[in-house]
Amino acid sequence: MSTARFLRQALTIARRDITATVMTPTFLLFLLSPLLMISFGVIGSMSATSAASSGEARQRLIVIAPDAQRERIVRIDRELRRVFTRDDVRPKLQVDRANGDSARQARALFDDAAIEPTAILYGPMERPTIVRRVGAKAEGRYLAVLAAQLLRAERAGDAVTSTPRFETVGREVPSESGKGQSAYFATLGIFFLTLMLSGQAVGAMAEERSNKVIEVLAAAVPLESVFFGKLLGAFGSALLFVGFWGTLLVNLPRLLPPDVAGFVSNLGVAVGPLFPLLFIGYFVMSYLLQSAVFLGVGSLASTQREIQMLSLPITIFQFAMFGLASYAAGNPQSQVAAVAAIVPFSSPMTMAARAATIPALWPHLLAFVWQALWVGITLTIAARLFRRGVLKSAGPKRRRKAPA
Amino acid sequence: MRDLAVSASGLVKRFGERIAVNGVDIAVPRGQIYGVLGPNGAGKTTSLRMLLGIIEPDEGERTLLGSASPRDMSDRVGYLPEERGLYPNMKCREAIAFMGALRGLPWSVGRKRARDLLDSAGLGHAADDKIRKLSKGMAQLVQLLGSVVHAPDLLVLDEPFSGLDPVNQERLEQLIRAERDRGATVLFSTHVMAHAERLCEHISIIAGGTVRFEGTVDAARALLPARAQYTPRQDAPEIAAMLPPDALHEKGAWRFTVPEDGIESLLVQLIEAGHGISGLSIERPGLHDAFVRIVGADALADAQTEADA
Repeated sequence: MSTARFLRQALTIARRDITATVMTPTFLLFLLSPLLMISFGVIGSMSATSAASSGEARQRLIVIAPDAQRERIVRIDRELRRVFTRDDVRPKLQVDRANGDSARQARALFDDAAIEPTAILYGPMERPTIVRRVGAKAEGRYLAVLAAQLLRAERAGDAVTSTPRFETVGREVPSESGKGQSAYFATLGIFFLTLMLSGQAVGAMAEERSNKVIEVLAAAVPLESVFFGKLLGAFGSALLFVGFWGTLLVNLPRLLPPDVAGFVSNLGVAVGPLFPLLFIGYFVMSYLLQSAVFLGVGSLASTQREIQMLSLPITIFQFAMFGLASYAAGNPQSQVAAVAAIVPFSSPMTMAARAATIPALWPHLLAFVWQALWVGITLTIAARLFRRGVLKSAGPKRRRKAPA
Repeated sequence: MRDLAVSASGLVKRFGERIAVNGVDIAVPRGQIYGVLGPNGAGKTTSLRMLLGIIEPDEGERTLLGSASPRDMSDRVGYLPEERGLYPNMKCREAIAFMGALRGLPWSVGRKRARDLLDSAGLGHAADDKIRKLSKGMAQLVQLLGSVVHAPDLLVLDEPFSGLDPVNQERLEQLIRAERDRGATVLFSTHVMAHAERLCEHISIIAGGTVRFEGTVDAARALLPARAQYTPRQDAPEIAAMLPPDALHEKGAWRFTVPEDGIESLLVQLIEAGHGISGLSIERPGLHDAFVRIVGADALADAQTEADA
């Protein structure tokens, strides 16, 4: 059979599969699933924050001081909150007038049901007493700093001595930590995409079996064409997914606040502009390897339950490979990294991470040849499994004889 | 040598210990409607699958449209498998065009032909309906149209009448004849004799994985003698002695097998004996009877059970 005919048949099946997958509301849901996951995460964290802040609203830092110091204490607190991070979770400051026995006044405040003081400062600012609740060390220290600043301000006057201008800059040359972070994100990206997309191949096969279309296909085109058509179909849908999110991520720094965008721009890679190409190449290899396994396994299963049972060990295997590749990403010069680069199923993730940390390009050429070899082996085995699995003869129906 | 669309000799297929097909020979003349008859489990489907190259025989040879490699001819073949299969979310027109595209027909041509075929089959109104909205019979017709959309030289139908109501069975028979008239060869399997009797020029009867008969329908029917029903003007018990030994008397009429040398001399004797002839009919045996004779009563029971189901 000619290659052109083989391709034409495979593309016919792929076209049907892509159309059937993409032109459904379910695909939109699938496409937006990461957004949904992020949204659920944000909603969850907002709920948790809301629950926590209801208690925080009554928390107070209290300074018991004469009225003359009140205005200055409030101003210094405002300035300090600009300097200290996490000032949004620091309790509000309350300045109470000293009424004689400040120690008793402080204890009374701790017993007040209307508020929840976390730390109270009283006494002269040169030797203040700070009482705090268990675990409120930071709040105690904050009041100590406030007292010190108050003293300085009283002695030096309130003149502003410095007005800084802040700028955010990124590095021209990627830092080692930036490359390390890129390596991890590359590993995670390929793992996440492959995990999410390769499983679709199983579903494609289950559809053929449940609709009994497989014999129609098998009569018209060789099973190898059916297999590659299915693989291409699932890959086409996967590319749409990757294209959509890839475009979004590439343009993400423009949409982010400068500080976050600066973090993203710090994610440098050792191989430079070739990295996106290498990443896509390794994703394709990883996808083909794992989809072929899923498709081969899917052809052996005749029910959704069987597919789930067969998918579980494969998913566990995928996680194991991710674990191996993640370790290799963090330790690119280790022996484990060499093993992870050789093991076919962890190799794409490991090599993508390597592209982020090590500039040499020739290992990637070697890796692509090695992985392509394994893609070929896996596809051949999976196609044979497919051939054996999809056309099982029902056999003759045996006639039941009525009992004599 | 006859011009054959399909030929096979000595096809054998084993599934583990079981021999599903054991030395099947078939010769399907071009441009004819050819029936493969047999009870359930006779090996019909396996034989058709081997002829089409869906599965490979363990032994034997076959040629399809002159090629020893059936897969190379797949673009010139239409096939309706026993287990019907369509994508439920596909529109009828797309489903037909898709089946054509699998056989090398461009999608655009397939869509146009699909519209014409659906119109001619009385399903034009359902062209843009999804398959899952169709009745079983309509879906089966759509699949059949999908198997002819690329105007194949050979149409292979595995139990095409199964599950169809009489109206759709009639439509299907018309479509099969139309394909034959167009010049295609039609090879179909069935265990319902009536369809084969109405449609086929040649048949092959398979049972137990082997071919028990191959030839014309008339030749199959000729395997059994004709039956006569004679009603005398004056009935009398002594008539029994004049008739063949298998004669039965029912409601004033006698039924018996027509002797090998004909019925004429027997009628002369009856007239001369004064019994006269009030009624006389000679029935040629049907394919059903020939089938029972060829494959045996057990096989018939199987076939009947399936037909009833």
